[in-house]
Parts: sequence; C-alpha cells; structure tokens
Amino acid sequence: MSTTRLWVRALSATVLSLAAISAQAQTTVSAPPAGRLLASNCFQCHGYNGRSSKGFEILAGESASEIYGELREMRQKTGKDVGIMEAHTHGYTDAQLKLIATYLSKQTP
Amino acid sequence: MNRRDFFRFTGFGASAALLSRLADAATGQLGFVPTNTGIKGRVVVIGGGMAGATVAKYLRLWGGSGVTVTLVERDAAYTSNILSNLVLNGQRTLTSLQFGYTTLASRYGIKVVRGEAKAIDHVGHKVLLADGTSLPYDRLVVAPGIEFNVIPGLETAAAQAKVPHAWKAGAQTTTLKSQIAAMPSGGTFVMTIPAKPYRCPPGPYERACVVADWLKRNRPGSKVIVLDANSGILAEPENFTHAFDVIHQGVIDYHPGVTINSINASTMTLNTSMGALRANVINAIPSQRAGSILTASGLANAPGQWADVNVLTYQSTVAPGVHIIGDSSATTQPKAGHIANQEAKICADAIVRLLAGLSPDPAPVTNSACYSPITSQTASWLSSRFAYDPATAKMALVAGGLVEAPSISKDNYEEMFKWFNTLMEDSFA
Repeated sequence: MSTTRLWVRALSATVLSLAAISAQAQTTVSAPPAGRLLASNCFQCHGYNGRSSKGFEILAGESASEIYGELREMRQKTGKDVGIMEAHTHGYTDAQLKLIATYLSKQTP
Repeated sequence: MNRRDFFRFTGFGASAALLSRLADAATGQLGFVPTNTGIKGRVVVIGGGMAGATVAKYLRLWGGSGVTVTLVERDAAYTSNILSNLVLNGQRTLTSLQFGYTTLASRYGIKVVRGEAKAIDHVGHKVLLADGTSLPYDRLVVAPGIEFNVIPGLETAAAQAKVPHAWKAGAQTTTLKSQIAAMPSGGTFVMTIPAKPYRCPPGPYERACVVADWLKRNRPGSKVIVLDANSGILAEPENFTHAFDVIHQGVIDYHPGVTINSINASTMTLNTSMGALRANVINAIPSQRAGSILTASGLANAPGQWADVNVLTYQSTVAPGVHIIGDSSATTQPKAGHIANQEAKICADAIVRLLAGLSPDPAPVTNSACYSPITSQTASWLSSRFAYDPATAKMALVAGGLVEAPSISKDNYEEMFKWFNTLMEDSFA
C-alpha cells in the first residue's frame, strides 16, 4: 500500500472517530462547569476564559493554587495598597475564589 | 491520490467540520461555539448595547450551536458611552468608540437583524418588528437601554438640540463638544444631574472634571457649575470632592440638592430651586426610564418606569420567558456598561440552564468596575461587588461596599484603556 493511502486511511479513521465521540457527547446535557459563571466576572478585564491579550494578567492555565493564593493575599491589603483588583477580591468567599482559580487553571491559554 | 479523491473518500461533511474546528482553534482565543451541549432553544435579543451584545455572545458560547440567537438592533453600530467624555476634550474620536456587529455574527453565528422591535407578545412568544416581521422565541432578552424624561421647556427637538444631554453617545456628543469649543474665555458651562437612579453614577462628575480641565487650559476664567438633584456626590465622593475642590479649584462650583424647574433654550436660562442662572452651554441630563419597547409592552413595572426582574435569571416579574438586562432593569446594581456585561452573563447562564431543564445558579455575584478621567492625564476608579441575598431576593452590596481609588493617578489613566479595550472585546468580539 502506498504511503499516501496509509496516510489517508489514518486521517480518515481519526476524523470518523472524532465524529463518533462528538455524536456520543451530543446526547448528554450537563450542568455548566463549576466556577465558570463566577470566573466570567473576570473575563471583561482578563479576557475570555482568562486569555488576556490587552494588558491585564493572563490567568488561563495558571496554577490554581497560585491564583487562589494571590487572590487571598490581595484581599488582605488595605489603604493605599488597595488597587482595583484588591478591591474586587472582597466580593468573594474563600470557596468562590477556589472555584474561580480552579476553573481558570483548566483553561488553555 | 489527488485532493478530489481525498475529499470523496473521507466525506466532505466530516472534513468541513474538521477544518471548521481547526479554524475555530486558530480564533479560539475568544472561544468557539460547542456543537455537543445537547441544548436547544430559540432566543431573541432586543438591543445590541453592552448587555444585548454580551448576552448574545455568551448564549452561543455556553448554550452551543443548538441555541439559536437573533439579535435585533436598529443602529449599524454601537457607540460607547464609556470614554465618550474624552470626545469632549478631543482625546478620542466618536468613530474610535464605535463597535459593529459583524464579528459577533461571523464568530458566534449570531443572526443580527437590523430593525426596531415594536411590540412584545409575551403570551404568544413573539416579537413584532416595525417592518412587520414577527420573530418567535422560546426565551426573549430585552436590553433597550434608557429613554429620557422631558425637562420642562425642552419639549421640542430644536430645544433639545440646543441643550444636549449627550448621555447616549453619538450626535449629541459631537454637538456638546462643538458648543464647548465655541465658549468664550470666562464663559459658563452648566451641567444638571438628575435624581438617582440614572445611567452611570460617576459619569456626570467625570464629565465636569474633563470639561473643567479643558476650559482651564483653553478658555481661562471659565466656570463649570454643577447642579445636582442628589444630596451629595453619588460615586467616588472623596475623589470627586478632591477633584472639584483642589484639582479644579476655582473652576468647578458644585451644588447638591438643586431641582431644575425649567430651562429656556432661547435665552439659555435655567429656572432652579436656587434661582435663575444663565449659561453659554447647558448640559442638562434629564431623569431617565426604561427603553420604550418595555413601557409600550407593559413591562416597565417598577417605580420610575424601570423593569422589575428576578435577579437570579433577570426574568421579568410580570412576563415569564422575558428577561430584561442592562440599564432598563430595576435592581440594586448601578446602571453601567460594566454591570450590564455582568448581568448578561448571569442571564445567559440562567437561560442555558433553563433550556436544559436545570435550575438557575443560586448564588450569582456581579462586580462593577469603572475608571474615570479626572484630567487629560489622570484618572480614578471605583469598584463595587454584589452577591445574591436570599433573604431579600436582591443583589446586596458586599464586603467593603463601594471602593474608590486611593489616589488619582497617571497609572490609573493608563489602566483605564486596558480595562476599556478588554471590556469592549468581551462584549463585541
């Protein structure tokens, strides 16, 4: 069998199996991923799913524990050290910050 | 094997899907519409401003290809109110603040209809457009923004053109800019602020600062007189007090608790609770109410003619299946573009869940962020955060309440553009 034919077979097998996976997934309706709605509060500054491209920090794919740790640190700040991000962290409980951090850590940058 | 044989062998449909996924991956920076959520529904969105554009986009991103979204908008593009005060001092052009709909249409498969909604049949589940078209829906989102109440004396179009509010960015912004430029040195600019709630709490104070800054440098001796119907500065009271009393000392005169009885556009005179004033430029910002499609459809049922909603889903309290977001809704949250973007996401998530037979998220959180230019080089910011309070069924201001920038700075001014650029990308791209 020629190389071209082998290549075409492999590619079409991949395409067909992708289609099969997609068809399987079509039948289940699941709840939105945990933390997505909370994390979306961040997208208008940090970009969709944290994929910032216009100046604020990129959060997509960053370590969940690092994001969570930074948010908690920011929440401790007072007075002159309160930037807009520090102010924002006061709106969320620890549990919510964890959900946000975990969601963002799973996004592809 | 040639290319034609390859497509015939694999099936053109499968290849097209694969190529489309690869293309999506290339633009995946801003998300792609999933094809496998299993969720179906027809959603119509009335209004393509901050709320409407954002809800249309997120309905597709989170609902998937089975959720069809039709966006009805009467203008060819949205003109941002945010940063429009920088048109007044020449730092931005109106064109640079315009955002079209072709990206939303092509990237997310949103059907954009250029037209005007005339009536909502919330029993029959359809929207009637001015051109006679009828749009059936499973869920409707109405985001028409605001209408202005008439200030006595300014009933005619001519009077309104002479005394612009410029509170819906566009032609009036250009008019106001020209009027300011035509002021003599030692001239008087009067701004009137309506009683809350009104669109953009910091907006009028920000405008007073930007105008004062420009007049100081270009029309020395001029004054900016601010007549506020409210009992005090509603947003960033410390920063704006400092801006009025120190940074723009001698230019801005701020008077709280003043009601406007009438304005005479011919004599450029205001009749107010503190007496009569004459001015070269009068920027009268009228009190506001919900967009006219809502009043026409009986959905503006909250005091002041705003639309009462359930803040877990933004459903109208009088019309199930109709969701109302943005400035026209009556909630405890401020009327602001950034908040509209947040409400849109809560609403999109709720609609997607409802279409899937699930309950809405029981604990939504929204945040407000806004940068305000104070001079041509410095800015301040505010932040507030709201969380659902089941006891009151309202969005309650949380921990720390309203926070304002600890200082007015050049750094804030730079950050303002990062915020604006990303916010507009999140809503329109």
